[in-house]
Amino acid sequence: MTLASMQSVLKRYGSCAALDYIDLEIHEGEIVGLLGPNGAGKTTLIQALTGILPVDQGRISLFGDSRNPFSDANKQKLGLVTQEIAVFEELTAKEGLEFFAGIYGLRREEKKKRVAEALEFVGLSAYANKVPHKFSGGMKRRLNIACALTHRPRLLIMDEPTVGIDPQSRNHILESVQKLREQGTTILYTTHCMEEVQEIASRVVILDQGQVVKEGTVQQLIETVRHEETIIFDVADPLGIPLRQVESIAGVSQVSVSGSRITVISAAGAGNLDRILSVVQQHSGVLGIQADKPNLEDVFLTLTGKQLRDREGSR
Amino acid sequence: MTIFYFTLKRSFANLANLIFLTAAPIACIFLPAGEGWPPLAYGYAYFGIVILFVAIRLAQIMMEDRVKGILKRLSVAPVRYFSYLGQHLLAYAVILILQSAVVVLGGWIAGQELHRPWALFALYVSFSFAALAMALAWISVFRSKDAAFLFYMSLIVLAALLGGIILPLEIFPDLLRRIAVILPTFWFAEGLKSIASAQPFADNVRINATLCLYALVFLVLGSTRRMQ
Repeated sequence: MTLASMQSVLKRYGSCAALDYIDLEIHEGEIVGLLGPNGAGKTTLIQALTGILPVDQGRISLFGDSRNPFSDANKQKLGLVTQEIAVFEELTAKEGLEFFAGIYGLRREEKKKRVAEALEFVGLSAYANKVPHKFSGGMKRRLNIACALTHRPRLLIMDEPTVGIDPQSRNHILESVQKLREQGTTILYTTHCMEEVQEIASRVVILDQGQVVKEGTVQQLIETVRHEETIIFDVADPLGIPLRQVESIAGVSQVSVSGSRITVISAAGAGNLDRILSVVQQHSGVLGIQADKPNLEDVFLTLTGKQLRDREGSR
Repeated sequence: MTIFYFTLKRSFANLANLIFLTAAPIACIFLPAGEGWPPLAYGYAYFGIVILFVAIRLAQIMMEDRVKGILKRLSVAPVRYFSYLGQHLLAYAVILILQSAVVVLGGWIAGQELHRPWALFALYVSFSFAALAMALAWISVFRSKDAAFLFYMSLIVLAALLGGIILPLEIFPDLLRRIAVILPTFWFAEGLKSIASAQPFADNVRINATLCLYALVFLVLGSTRRMQ
């Protein structure tokens, strides 16, 4: 069953299309990883899908309802984990969750039970009576997730829930997401971190410049670039490398620079490594060479010509 | 009434708020009377300034909700914006009304010369509504909580000065006295004079109605700009 869908959705900010005729479907029981660099339109997509932001064109449907997708009945089944840590700093963790449970109409015993469950789920039971003001960044992020869980949403939308936290909290969050799926919650998970998507998503949607560039399972997406290989050169003087000359070598499809690294995408088995290496060595000292198996990063690079990480914080 | 209940709880959760909400009004009760001015004891004029401060402190809670993304989260929940706003304003109004009651009742018990305590209470309540609506309109145009508070503090002092709460209006030049008429603080000071000089009841009603009109105008201004 399709829980949420967007058909030809357009959202403009002035002359810039933040969502450029987007089509998207989220089916029951899946974790959809929405992958894209900062500024790709992920947050706008979430805001449109949840009704926070009105769209200029197109149709949005939630739980099979396209006439009034943002009705109270549909909102009861929807949960949002915001990118901002939207928790009450002055209330205890338990009180904050009681507030969110209360606005979804939960009463007394049921409310208490759900709050305790949510705290347990995110591993904060021991901190129930503490104010988040004193929590670490990771604990606040976990509480932020718990706030969206007390009403047991059927569809949970998570907007970059692991931004700026330690690896331990990040792992806890990723495990929680997988547990939620096992319990039957459908999840739309946005991130610009491809490892997270690779780890948890049953389907990946790659978004760039407001458009869905590609979608499929992680394996399907990697298959699209399996005929290619990625060679990474660590060099002393990356700016001295004549990228056009490297690009002109037979079999090479893309060359990009990131810090001291030159990434070359070439047709698999083209036998051009010697030629590439000789061009690179002519213009800079080579500190290391590494050949990678294709991953989502390569998929993204092949499809958009950009690297996910290079653009972090760009918008 | 979940939002109402938690708004009350949040209003008292902060130490600075707690001082503003409890200690400041009680201190007002015990300030002495002046010679000839102000028309009531100093504390009963300065309580107008306390009301303005309390109103902005309370309204900042809503601003925090907007800045921190809580409002975004609520807009995905089955809660209407006007229900959120209404329950917040109701909670703040309850706090301000209680404060006014404490100040008037406390003054009466402490033997302050309040002339017409009920009229004074009505004046405080009307002024509280106007102050709350002004604070709402004010925070709706700001994105930074600190900037909103700092600018508003300066504005409060200026408005209290020009309105005749801190100093008698008669000492100001004619032009400033004319400008003062547009300030809610002027009508508050007028209300105090009216009560102290035993003006007809209709005069109190006119002043309270003017303050309520201010409340209505600022409420419309502050609530039409949704805080998302």
